[in-house]
Amino acid sequence: MKIRIIFIVVVVLALLAGVPWYGSASIVQFGIDALLTATLAQGWNLIGGYAGYPSFGNSVFYGLGTYGTAIAMAQFGLPFWAGLVVGGILAVLCALLLGIPILRLRGPYFAIATLGLAAAMGAVIANLGIAGRNNGLILPLFRGDALFYELALGLLALTTLMIYLVSESRFGAGLIAIRENEDAAAVMGVNTTLYKVMALALSGFVSALAGGIHAYWITFIDPGSAFDATLNVKMVIMAVFGGPGTVLGPIIGAFLLSAISEVLAAKISTVAGLFFGGVIVLAVVFMPKGLIDVGYGVRRLGLSYFVQNIRQNRL
Amino acid sequence: MTASEPKPIFTARGLTKRFRGLTALSAVSFTQNEGEILGLIGPNGAGKTTLVSLISGTLSPTEGEIEFEGQRIDGLKSYRRAHLGIGRTFQVMKPFPGLSVLENVAIGALFGTGRGERSRVRARERARACLDFTGLNHRADQRADALGGPDRKRLELAKALAMQPKFLLLDEVMAGLNPVEVEEVIALIMKIRANGVSILVIEHVMKAIRRLSDRLFVLHHGEKIAEGKPDEVLNDPRVVEAYLGRRRR
Repeated sequence: MKIRIIFIVVVVLALLAGVPWYGSASIVQFGIDALLTATLAQGWNLIGGYAGYPSFGNSVFYGLGTYGTAIAMAQFGLPFWAGLVVGGILAVLCALLLGIPILRLRGPYFAIATLGLAAAMGAVIANLGIAGRNNGLILPLFRGDALFYELALGLLALTTLMIYLVSESRFGAGLIAIRENEDAAAVMGVNTTLYKVMALALSGFVSALAGGIHAYWITFIDPGSAFDATLNVKMVIMAVFGGPGTVLGPIIGAFLLSAISEVLAAKISTVAGLFFGGVIVLAVVFMPKGLIDVGYGVRRLGLSYFVQNIRQNRL
Repeated sequence: MTASEPKPIFTARGLTKRFRGLTALSAVSFTQNEGEILGLIGPNGAGKTTLVSLISGTLSPTEGEIEFEGQRIDGLKSYRRAHLGIGRTFQVMKPFPGLSVLENVAIGALFGTGRGERSRVRARERARACLDFTGLNHRADQRADALGGPDRKRLELAKALAMQPKFLLLDEVMAGLNPVEVEEVIALIMKIRANGVSILVIEHVMKAIRRLSDRLFVLHHGEKIAEGKPDEVLNDPRVVEAYLGRRRR
């Protein structure tokens, strides 16, 4: 059983890693984008899916990774890897400093506070000279989509491995307990503050790395694109669509939704957004626990699985 | 009590809790002895649950001191108190609704006293034993939110037991149970005490508290109005008055 799973994982990874050799240039570009968004969805999964804190501040970590890398490379002439480190450290510091007060808030209050954070951080960066103010920064040009593709794939694989290890660990059990009932978790011995802050910091770290890779790939960044709140909405939708709090759900959600929106944008660009929105509404109504739960649910209950979901939503 | 010298495991001195203007508890002091079942009764709104929350660290006191095994703990957060060996159930039950019954209990084993089991496999084994003990084993794989009232009470108890507490606070675990189920829970509590756990029982079911408690104390409007042997306390005129009102002359 275990050997079979490892075998499948290796084959899938090898097939994905080979895309730059047998895929077209546009497929590789689509792949980089999809892999990075999947990494972001997976990062969100840790704080939103496992710990149950719906963060709208993950785009801040992404933005800090973007700017950390850009500043290190464009202003100080440091190599790319050093830029990634700078971005990662910035994001972790931000998660530690702001997480401690903000993670005291629960549910919608936490979501609103993190949303405010995203807006504020964009404004701060837009006024920093070292960050190029509103004009943004231009990174050294590096042509090599294949390399960026492999980097993004590697980051997604490592992030997913981390999520798997967390989900099997005592730490993961503590996060799930916090999500299910924080008061009960605390009196049963879960150090809730520490666990939440650690989840946010890890989540921020991988988001920042994704931001750094994206920055070097795209070579031009400005505050509007780096601190884009709709990017955070995308992470949430993808993770929730696929199955929050599961190891593979967010990846499936991210790949599927990226592909759908790519096809729609190419075919019927004007109503693409409308259709996309419709898919999400239907998904949340009929499968609130994500695609990955549909498999189990339908096998157990048949089509009444969907009816039960509607009932639970009190529609 | 079979032990000759009662040894205190927990002491509260002058515990006061005010919520804005409302005084929920005023200057309550009591001692819990090792291996003892101490009963706590009082009319609705007397401050019983507030007292439990102060002990478990869910709330912090406005004034007063708490000592557990000779160590001041009133500055400690609830997870630290859990590591020291204080476990509680909630009157308004707080299961982990989306997890299976077994996973619910395993959380208690993974954390809890002495920071719990390191391995999730061993935590599950301990959880199985607790489910056996509380008679919930046949429901191990069901989701917690699928359980009915009595089984939810059992789950609440099993979760606290899995922590292997030294001091267990039971906040109305018998409320809403039928007489047969009450008997079962009484037997369970006796068995837990036989394992050396000190227990504070809050209960409205008088028959049960009379049989269970070695000693009993009564809260009324946030103040301790009586303490002693169950029979004496339950016949105390002040206690009768608190429950039934003043007799007309």
